[in-house]
Amino acid sequence: MSDGRLTWNPHAPEPVDDRELIGRVLAGDARAERELYDAHVDRVFRLVYRMVGDSHRAQDYTQEAFIRGFRRLADFRGDSALSTWLCSIAISVTLNGLRGLKRAREREVGLDQAPAIGARPVEADPDLKVRMRRAIDGLPEGYRTVFVMHDVEGYTHQEIATTLGVQPGTSKAQLFRARARLREALADFARD
Amino acid sequence: MDDDPLDESLRAAAREYHRPPDAPREAMWREIERARRLDRARRPGPRRWIPWGAAAAAVLALGIGIGRMWAPTGSPGPTPGTVAARPEPAARVNETAYRLATVEHLGQAEALLTLFRASVRTGSQERLASATARELLATNRLLLDSPAARDRRTRLLLEDLELVLAEIAQLTPQATAGDRELIREGMERGGVLSRLRTVVPAGTTPTRGDL
Repeated sequence: MSDGRLTWNPHAPEPVDDRELIGRVLAGDARAERELYDAHVDRVFRLVYRMVGDSHRAQDYTQEAFIRGFRRLADFRGDSALSTWLCSIAISVTLNGLRGLKRAREREVGLDQAPAIGARPVEADPDLKVRMRRAIDGLPEGYRTVFVMHDVEGYTHQEIATTLGVQPGTSKAQLFRARARLREALADFARD
Repeated sequence: MDDDPLDESLRAAAREYHRPPDAPREAMWREIERARRLDRARRPGPRRWIPWGAAAAAVLALGIGIGRMWAPTGSPGPTPGTVAARPEPAARVNETAYRLATVEHLGQAEALLTLFRASVRTGSQERLASATARELLATNRLLLDSPAARDRRTRLLLEDLELVLAEIAQLTPQATAGDRELIREGMERGGVLSRLRTVVPAGTTPTRGDL
């Protein structure tokens, strides 16, 4: 297992020259594709895994994000960092995948019985981490995405806004509401 | 709002949420590389410069040409029983021609939808996308009325594709990002693009020369 935020800084400078790499990829250099992938895959995979909590799905969605990214690379205009652009594709793939999964589950068990995505069986005496996981799983999609990106992975509101295609104010508002819901759900754990 | 963080114990618990393992780099890369090889085999040139309108017009002309070439003439056709027992050579050629025209059409539709999806945010190509979608829509309707639509899977795909093409065809330069996003979501929901890619295997799109 990798070690949370202690070893990961999403704000760290990207170690490769993306513009040069993009040029080589567009020129058909297959090795450049691998270099671009190596430079960004950890960040993309981390974010996708945080959203889905399942290795196989995280792998599938990350692959799909890079495949789409390479196919669309000619349209990348450099308005944001390449890593942000890739993350926006990854989030889109992930949310679409999770929505499909949710629909499939709802069809199987009926709306009233559908568990939240990633929900685990109920435990007798859940500790804070388990309760937190369930509470985050239970957040509306927009709240959960912003909360995971900001409070779990350390993205800034500006990065979140660029990635999700929303205003920074929207990101802040959703984070505020997400935290409020989590405080409410975990009130018995909160310190005075 | 950033100055209203969760209690430290809650923050610490949140950081444990779906804590990721190391990325399986090589396993993922194998799949990506495979997909990229197929992409390269299928489209040797940069896709952004595909002349949408010209490509769609070529497909339309091809479809019409095939239709004229193989349309029934004044001579009476075979009875259903005869067809079932021994297909006429002309009928077999006709079927093949329609199948090739369908694959060509679906390949062009896939290119349009891929480009459209890529331009959803920028929204810079509505007029061209709309014109191309209208032309493809015409071909799509010809194929829906043709023997190509006898195959159930093809017919369902053509019907779903018709909805998407009709939406794109109605786009105007005044369309909002929300309008474009709705179309994109419709494409994703119906899996139209992925189904197109399944029906049109990489590298098998016929050209006029193949016919």
